[in-house]
Amino acid sequence: MSATGLLDVFRRSFFHLESRILQAIGFNNHAVVPALSVQGPGIFPQLHRNEETEEHSLLDNIFWMAAPKKRRTIEVNRCRRRNPQKLIEIKTNIEPCSGCGNLKQKHVLCGFCYEKVRRETAIIRGQIQAQEGKPLNNPAVETVVLYEGEKPADTDAGKRIVERKRQRPSWFTQY
Amino acid sequence: MRLTLPVLIAHGRYGRRMGLGPESRINMLRNILTGLVRHERIETTWARADEVRIYAEKVSDMLISFTRPLFSCFSLVQEKDLVHKLFKVLVPRLGSEQRGYTRLFQIPNRDSLDRAKMAVLELRGNPFPPLVTRQPDSDGSLLNQLLRGYREEATRSRAAGGD
Repeated sequence: MSATGLLDVFRRSFFHLESRILQAIGFNNHAVVPALSVQGPGIFPQLHRNEETEEHSLLDNIFWMAAPKKRRTIEVNRCRRRNPQKLIEIKTNIEPCSGCGNLKQKHVLCGFCYEKVRRETAIIRGQIQAQEGKPLNNPAVETVVLYEGEKPADTDAGKRIVERKRQRPSWFTQY
Repeated sequence: MRLTLPVLIAHGRYGRRMGLGPESRINMLRNILTGLVRHERIETTWARADEVRIYAEKVSDMLISFTRPLFSCFSLVQEKDLVHKLFKVLVPRLGSEQRGYTRLFQIPNRDSLDRAKMAVLELRGNPFPPLVTRQPDSDGSLLNQLLRGYREEATRSRAAGGD
């Protein structure tokens, strides 16, 4: 930032301030008529400028920007940083699962128990897929899953049977 | 419709925005519904499961209340073998249900970077292992009763010792 540039800024700000004061008083002389004409250089040196107005307006308005007046003390900072709105909320909806004892949220299924069920379901689905052979071959009958040593009951008459070579797990009750 | 707080806040708006637009949303929900009819238990994001539930219940209602086949079900379930399954298996099974035909459970968030809220949606009466089992109350078991007695005695002696 050159000295001449800064001087130019000061000059323009001074004139801007002056016109605003005159306007406030009521001296709205929109027709700019020189009160005194002097030959030669004026009070302030006139310099030719070809720049855009955007940069000029920023430099002009620099005197009217918001800035903090005082340093924020550590006490005030602490009050702002530590108020309950900014702290992490304590969750009261965590409880142990009655089946496995792992922690779970009240409205969500236990992750451990669900994983057990998901794996078993995936294995059963693999068997179903092997039985069907090709895709889009779903038969229009019910399915029943039988474990080792189980025989189909009377109610499972027309159903498709899926065999699983293991003992029935305790959480998969036969209705 | 019950005047619950979410219903009041919605100001009459019904149905979430999903995918790339309304058509994309309908296509996506149709695919999920087809999957549900085929596999009877599916795992998706909670919002999609919630939307599909609306359509699943409506379709089941439609099919159960009318005896002759409705051709609109073809637009919803596009695979031939599933149409037969719908009428011969699902309608008789779900026809006797007094309550909803689907069940929605929230499961722990997805393991990937997005940690999405996931849910599992299933039709009632499916052959798979149950997701929720009623645990028998183990407070009456011998071990628990003995431990309870020990705990009560400890607190009593501590109170007596303190006094």
